[in-house]
Amino acid sequence: MQKTKKIDELEVGQELPPLDLPITATLVAGGALASRDYTPVHHDRDAANAQGLPDMFMNILTTQGLCSRYVTDWAGPDAIVTRVRTKLGGPNMPGDLLKIRGKVVSTEGKDADVEVSGNNAWGNHVTATFTLRLP
Amino acid sequence: MSDEKKKALEAQIRAFVGKPVGPVVVGRDPVNEPMIRQWCDAMGETHPAYLDADAAKKTVHGEIVAPPTMLQAWVMEGWAMHEGYDEPKNEQHRLHKVLADNGYTGVLGTNTEENYTRYLRLGETVKALTVIDSISEEKATGVGIGYFITTKTTFENQDGEDLGSMSFRVLRFKPANAQAAASKEGESKATAQKPSRIKPPMGHDNGWWWEKVASDGVIPIQRCTSCQKLRHPPRPMCDACGSQGFDAIAASGRATVHTFTVIHYPQFPGYEYPIVSIIVDLEEGERMASTLVDCKPEDVSIGMAVEAVIHEDEDGFKIPFFRPAAR
Amino acid sequence: MPTTLHNEAAVAGIGQTAYTKNSGVSELQLATEAVRKAIDDAGIQPSEVDGLVTYTMDSSDEVEVARTVGIGDMTFWSQVNYGGGAAVGLVAHAAMAVATGAAKNVVVYRALNGRSGQRMGQGVSGQIISSDLIHWSWYMPFGLLTPASWIALQARLYMHKYGATSEHLAHVAITQRMHAQKNPNAAMYGKPMTMDDYMKSRMICEPLRLFDCCQEDDGGCALLITTPERARDMKQTPAVIRGVTQASFEGQEQMTSFYRDDLAWLPEMELAAKRVYEMSGLGPKDMDAACLYDAFTPEVLMQLEAFGFCGRGEAKDFVTSESLTLGGALPNNTHGGLLSEAYLHGVNNLAEGVRLVRGESCNQPDKVDHVLVTSGVGVPTGAVIFGKD
Repeated sequence: MQKTKKIDELEVGQELPPLDLPITATLVAGGALASRDYTPVHHDRDAANAQGLPDMFMNILTTQGLCSRYVTDWAGPDAIVTRVRTKLGGPNMPGDLLKIRGKVVSTEGKDADVEVSGNNAWGNHVTATFTLRLP
Repeated sequence: MSDEKKKALEAQIRAFVGKPVGPVVVGRDPVNEPMIRQWCDAMGETHPAYLDADAAKKTVHGEIVAPPTMLQAWVMEGWAMHEGYDEPKNEQHRLHKVLADNGYTGVLGTNTEENYTRYLRLGETVKALTVIDSISEEKATGVGIGYFITTKTTFENQDGEDLGSMSFRVLRFKPANAQAAASKEGESKATAQKPSRIKPPMGHDNGWWWEKVASDGVIPIQRCTSCQKLRHPPRPMCDACGSQGFDAIAASGRATVHTFTVIHYPQFPGYEYPIVSIIVDLEEGERMASTLVDCKPEDVSIGMAVEAVIHEDEDGFKIPFFRPAAR
Repeated sequence: MPTTLHNEAAVAGIGQTAYTKNSGVSELQLATEAVRKAIDDAGIQPSEVDGLVTYTMDSSDEVEVARTVGIGDMTFWSQVNYGGGAAVGLVAHAAMAVATGAAKNVVVYRALNGRSGQRMGQGVSGQIISSDLIHWSWYMPFGLLTPASWIALQARLYMHKYGATSEHLAHVAITQRMHAQKNPNAAMYGKPMTMDDYMKSRMICEPLRLFDCCQEDDGGCALLITTPERARDMKQTPAVIRGVTQASFEGQEQMTSFYRDDLAWLPEMELAAKRVYEMSGLGPKDMDAACLYDAFTPEVLMQLEAFGFCGRGEAKDFVTSESLTLGGALPNNTHGGLLSEAYLHGVNNLAEGVRLVRGESCNQPDKVDHVLVTSGVGVPTGAVIFGKD
């Protein structure tokens, strides 16, 4: 099993490996339904069109789930997420490439704040700060 | 809106502050493995503590736990959400309807904050109570004037044990442009297109330059055919001898950074931020504005050697950038 | 016919609306309210006004303003180009008009819904291919879309060359914020700022933080300009124009004069300084206060050098010694300026210059005989010296 990072292995400014995630209709719809979010704009293109967007767009829980995976894949299985602060930006839709980047922005005791940004061709989709408690 | 009308509206919406949105919501199913697996499939999660009982034992969790960001999923309504609603069903809907009826038709989620007291274990039932926590003063924003509404949800299990909390902030606004307003009401079909960088307008005095960038893959420098003086950016007359005749040479692409800035805000669609913007001194002596790529913002410095690289956007537009010079 | 503008014109009235983030009214309403207040302040009738000057960027046409306010016959009007660089130009045009008899009483104005309406720095593009649009095309595709980004490029080089730091920029911002605490019409009234607040404000375009950048506001501001003789018969103490000039220097572009030898210097401001000092027979030591254009903090440092208040590269030491505060060598932007009062494109800085000469500033220094006011930095610009009659 992957080893979990220790707090003293982290440096402020340290960057996480980048993740470029192609967004598909299946991912958008699958993420919405896995979070039991049946709001039509997240699985039905016509509903999204009616709101002026060209395609169905990702719900917040899926975005958070993807970012959470990105952070704990890097930190290791014993890193505990205690807090997530999210700033929401533009939409994320099928055909977009979501570029996920992260860096350590602060450490205190056994806690570290990791700032994750997700950008696509529309600009910033999400900026989320994860607080991790490390062993 | 008159001051009086605004005061009346604000009194009406402020009466919602502190009110629960509705009764406590009880999760339809207890925390369970199938829902966790479905979530992990979609998210590409391979975390051992979410998926494998034996592996979970070797982690700090000691047993299977649910992904933390799934917290809200356990109390989502599911299928019923697809129907939408014409009549408001709870206090939150009523608050939004009051604002919509007063012209604040736009709605935009802006921020969330989730605090996870601990990860959820199999078999727990999640209960959630949501309260309208605060409504801001009227604010001017990029999309129009409006009110930020914050709701706060607290999560407990079946025994009243604290599981965490969530704040959710939305902006309810008067759309600044009519098109946005119309689309919110579903009157116009999709018009949005994927944004791209602002293209230069192609006029007599500059079009040839961009065409040469695209066709020859070089940075052209305008040259007076009469006195040979180079000039950038291009202009229709030589400021030294008055000649209108010109041709162009291809810059070597070698240059040094004269000055730079790292642009963080505001962020425009069609550009990737932060942008490392540079003014370079071309080897030939002319100066030009460009973008430095393949270089971290903290690594750029005045005087650093750079070399040109012709970048092509997804839509085929070609633009000369620079990158740190190879040694 | 005068051959100089020295002592040929004076500001006899000033008017301004409330400065807000959402006026809820048209720009024409803001403009006409400010114009009417300037006329009332001078104590004359709208029908006595026969000239108007505004910005090319202003949306309220002269004749619309005239009809709305009740200004009758006009014999002079003009518009000045280049954003905030126009501010002093308005005064120069009006002064020329009254000095030559082209008009008797000229009101200059600027009104904008700069926050709730069309905001600055939202990018420039359009359908008609003008020389201006082609100029911007050398920057827009590269993401250099905002005044902050263009000024940041120059500020970076200035700081690199002279060792100025964020702390030095902070002194400008903090001093003006302090001044605004006595100005109830300032956007930042009741919001003092510490060094820590400044440092924690987010980066916009390095090295510029949020608090290095001016406000975005809705409002209107106007000045009434006439001859000193007529001004003396009006209601207020005149602010006599001792010297005024527009200034554009070789190699000048609008915000992007990146092609000159020394980017850490403002030659157009040096030209403006030379001209206004010569015309007025005064020098930097004679200035009792200033309103140096302050859309961004580094601009203040660079102007202190261009106008000779300190040597080249020495502005960082000048600003740290509290020179810009009320008791200092050069109290600057005593109303809060564009950074902390409002962004009225510099016309509000002109109004403060007049108040200082009248002795009516919310932060009034003991003795004010002469005040220097400048307009936009990085653009074709200008400077004016107001003097006590």
